[in-house]
Amino acid sequence: MTQPAPDAPAGPAKAAPLRAVASAAVREEVERGLFEVRKKVYPRAVTGWFATLRWAAVWLTQVIFYGLPWLAWNDRQAVLFDLGARKFYIFGLVFWPQDFIYLTLLLVTSAVALFLFTAIAGRLWCGYACPQTVYTEIFLWIERLFEGDRNARTKLDAAPLDGRKFAIKAGKHAAWVAFAFWTGFTFVGYFTPIKELGGAVLTFSLGPWETFWTFFYGFATYGNAGWMREQVCKYMCPYARFQGAMFDQDTLIIAYDRERGDPRGARGKKADPKSLGLGDCVDCGICVQVCPTGIDIRDGLQYECIGCAACIDGCDQVMEKMGYPKGLIRYSTEHAMQEHSGLGGIVRRVLRPRTLVYAAILAAVVGAGATALWMRVPLKVDVIRDRGALVREVEDGELENVYRLQVMNATESPHRYRIAVEGIPGIRVASEPVVEMAAASTRAFPVRIRVPGAEAKGGSQRILITVTAEDASGLQVREHAAFLSPRRGS
Amino acid sequence: MLTQRIAWILWPAFLVACGMEVVFFTLFDPEDLHFLGAPLEASRMAVYSVGFFVFWAMGAASSFLTCFLQRSPWEVNRCPLPATERPEGCPKREGPCC
Repeated sequence: MTQPAPDAPAGPAKAAPLRAVASAAVREEVERGLFEVRKKVYPRAVTGWFATLRWAAVWLTQVIFYGLPWLAWNDRQAVLFDLGARKFYIFGLVFWPQDFIYLTLLLVTSAVALFLFTAIAGRLWCGYACPQTVYTEIFLWIERLFEGDRNARTKLDAAPLDGRKFAIKAGKHAAWVAFAFWTGFTFVGYFTPIKELGGAVLTFSLGPWETFWTFFYGFATYGNAGWMREQVCKYMCPYARFQGAMFDQDTLIIAYDRERGDPRGARGKKADPKSLGLGDCVDCGICVQVCPTGIDIRDGLQYECIGCAACIDGCDQVMEKMGYPKGLIRYSTEHAMQEHSGLGGIVRRVLRPRTLVYAAILAAVVGAGATALWMRVPLKVDVIRDRGALVREVEDGELENVYRLQVMNATESPHRYRIAVEGIPGIRVASEPVVEMAAASTRAFPVRIRVPGAEAKGGSQRILITVTAEDASGLQVREHAAFLSPRRGS
Repeated sequence: MLTQRIAWILWPAFLVACGMEVVFFTLFDPEDLHFLGAPLEASRMAVYSVGFFVFWAMGAASSFLTCFLQRSPWEVNRCPLPATERPEGCPKREGPCC
């Protein structure tokens, strides 16, 4: 079809009908591309092995999410990203903005791990662990409690609004809102101590920003899991769009066995499909009904498929009822489907250049991160020269330089630190050499360093300042600095 | 259509704002920031929150321009909305086409 020239002026009357027809057709095509009117998906409840696995993942991730902020460690919240104080507490570790590198490493690790898992097992993340999937699952469960399963829900939505429908809908939304609020509260509890936050909620004295973010996150949960659902995966998720780049012919996907299933058709339980010229697919449509994104997996691999395996459970139940072997829809790979190989064939191909490269990068990043974390000294020292005076001659012919020591005690206990200096014969710390610091704090100390006049060579001399904890072993930082003195004879 | 456009503008901007928020406020402490020459007197939480929405707004502005400029000549010259979805009072709500 030819598209009318965009800049075509309104044509003469006789050309109009043709143009109208052509542009109507174009318009229809463009409209199809631009608008996809959403048909509400009413996923049918499904039971089976993978449904159980999915629920186990829901429980595991949510027990961690809702429980973790309540866990105590060293008399404080075990995991707290204290944005107000710019300190991140993760169990025994305290991170400061200076530890940005660890956050970077964590993000790189997550990304590479996602690549590796995707290459091997497809969209495991989407199907089992993604908050969007998990909350949709929970919200659907609440919806089912109030409205019943697929058929009941479709009927309810089609029915006119009456007292009963209103009560059901209101109950569902109230439960959704309550759950979403709890989620928002928990989220904020990762950034502000959750016990104080809980107290503030109970006494209605929540701060303005805490209130705002609780409702913001709660609203996002309610909207995404209650209303948007599969649209988030289909239209909003960047991972859904690029996951295909990590796929190859040996990636685990959810696949319909076309060779075995087609031609599809309804038949009696006792009928012999072969004599009817049919495959194993009874075309019951269960796989479509249970799909949370509303696709037909029998059309082949689609980017909308989040790999939740609900269709596998649904189909297996039907196959069992019909007395056919299970696995008409199953986890498999493209190669395994072609070669008719089972689990053995899939496992044999797990190790391949793509996965080995991803695994090597992952191992390197994790190794580097773990080593850095292991060698991390929870004490940081910055030596800054005093800008006011370069050098000063003091009594006994000594020369003095003044420095500012920015010390950060990144441990959770108070420490006494001794400041020492070396590098020039006779060099000494003339100010108080022992400083005390509170737990997890930063402070700046002025430090006066003196050198006997005879030892000062003139110009800049390298010195080494050492800060050592007197009450803990292994807490030591050495920093280089420059000692300035006037040039002789000039 | 309008909903999708709004989503295309706000959603990528939101993702980018999340990233900017983490990177910017890890590197810069709100208490070190100056506003028109004077130190900011807001709490860190307030600066983080306002900062997030500033990043979001900037991202949205960029997405808006992308959406605005990527329209095909066909869309610019002719209204791409189906007749029935055109705004109230549009003379082209009825009749065959543009």
